[in-house]
Amino acid sequence: MDLISLARRGDGAAWEVLMREHQQAVFRLAYLLLGDADEAEDVAQETFIRAYRALERFDGSRPLRPWLLRIAGNLARNQRRSIGRYFGALQRLVTLDPEALARARGESPPGPGESGPTAEEAHSLWQAVRRLSQPDQEIIYLRYFLDLSEAEAATALEIAPGTVKSRTHRALQRLRTVVEREFPTLRESLEE
Amino acid sequence: MNEAMDRWESNLRKTARALPYPPTPDVARAVRTRLAAEPPHPTGARRPQWVWVALAALLLALLLSVPQVRAGIVALLRIGGVRIFLIAPTATPTLPPPTGTPFPTATPHPTSTPLPSLLDIGGETTFEDAHTRLGFPISLPTYPADLGQPDHVYLQDFGGPMVLLVWLDPQQPDRVRLALHLLACKECVTKIEPAAIQTTSVNGQTAVWAEGPYVMQLRSGDLDVRRLIEGRVLIWTDGPITYRLETDLPLEEAVRMAESLKPIR
Repeated sequence: MDLISLARRGDGAAWEVLMREHQQAVFRLAYLLLGDADEAEDVAQETFIRAYRALERFDGSRPLRPWLLRIAGNLARNQRRSIGRYFGALQRLVTLDPEALARARGESPPGPGESGPTAEEAHSLWQAVRRLSQPDQEIIYLRYFLDLSEAEAATALEIAPGTVKSRTHRALQRLRTVVEREFPTLRESLEE
Repeated sequence: MNEAMDRWESNLRKTARALPYPPTPDVARAVRTRLAAEPPHPTGARRPQWVWVALAALLLALLLSVPQVRAGIVALLRIGGVRIFLIAPTATPTLPPPTGTPFPTATPHPTSTPLPSLLDIGGETTFEDAHTRLGFPISLPTYPADLGQPDHVYLQDFGGPMVLLVWLDPQQPDRVRLALHLLACKECVTKIEPAAIQTTSVNGQTAVWAEGPYVMQLRSGDLDVRRLIEGRVLIWTDGPITYRLETDLPLEEAVRMAESLKPIR
């Protein structure tokens, strides 16, 4: 018997194993959408509570992660709509520079000589993505920040795989416009 | 999409991956606690019956023969009252911290375990009392010959009786030499993510050899005790009893000890 079947029968230990496998992706999507770790944790918890209660309706032959991310995305959207929270999180994002964000999280910025994109560039990219519409943000988060395949993103967003491709293309074009207009340093690093 | 756009998209992906996230909180634990406080699951299904899964050995053999497959699989194995979850490794694995009443770490590997941790477990009794209350004979190892009777005996209820026998190191009486669990409960022990696992046999029956670190969970109703196992464990069954031997011995010696068990009285 697989873990999902056990969880459907009320086996909390089996559900805990599945949660541990997917909690990072669920938390990170919520964090990307909300910009606040505490609120992301709340959404992640609620995601697994609701998913557990809805397991009977889940098609066990399909991957679990996109389904969980769909629930998390819906919850984060609802959370974002609530007055104050979204703008509060947004305000925190635009007023804290990346180094301050990193310090607040106890992370050290990359040292000299480290290759690849820096955390600062990644934060700039995140801010640029947040200038986009909600559907554009979600497709970019799923495909580029969380590395979901087109098929997984299609399940998470409840759209056809072909729509994922076209929506991704359009979202990237709009993101590039934002980067070129407002993020000159990031523009240089992305065009290298 | 032209070459410049491809490069831009590739750089975008690399940059997105560099985003530092806050540490992932232990959502699973919090949810488990919340769910435990709720009424029973809406499906209302009975707990799964204890089933000896004959395919476990075959599955284990397959997993062992292809380590990279094992590393990427999420599976549930069962032997007697013990369930073992194998989980795909993640970039930032999070092991659940011990909760509830601390349980003794009885595995002396690589160094034996300080005795004081044993004081944390309740239910200590005498060998004779446990034998009387159990309803099934307690078997003790007759190998090595100088082992004798256990220095400590615990009897607890985890949905069925569980006996823990502890032998101390005669050279270091504050250290544990080995510990033997006798489990008459069904699905009362869960292991999560053993570092290494393989099949072996005890008296011709399939047995499992697991090495830590991994999380062991004992469950009974609302009681949920966990501890981090850092040593080696041999698990086998004999009729309705599941045996679990924690030791610092190598596999061959542990099997020899397991096969030497003889009922007392």
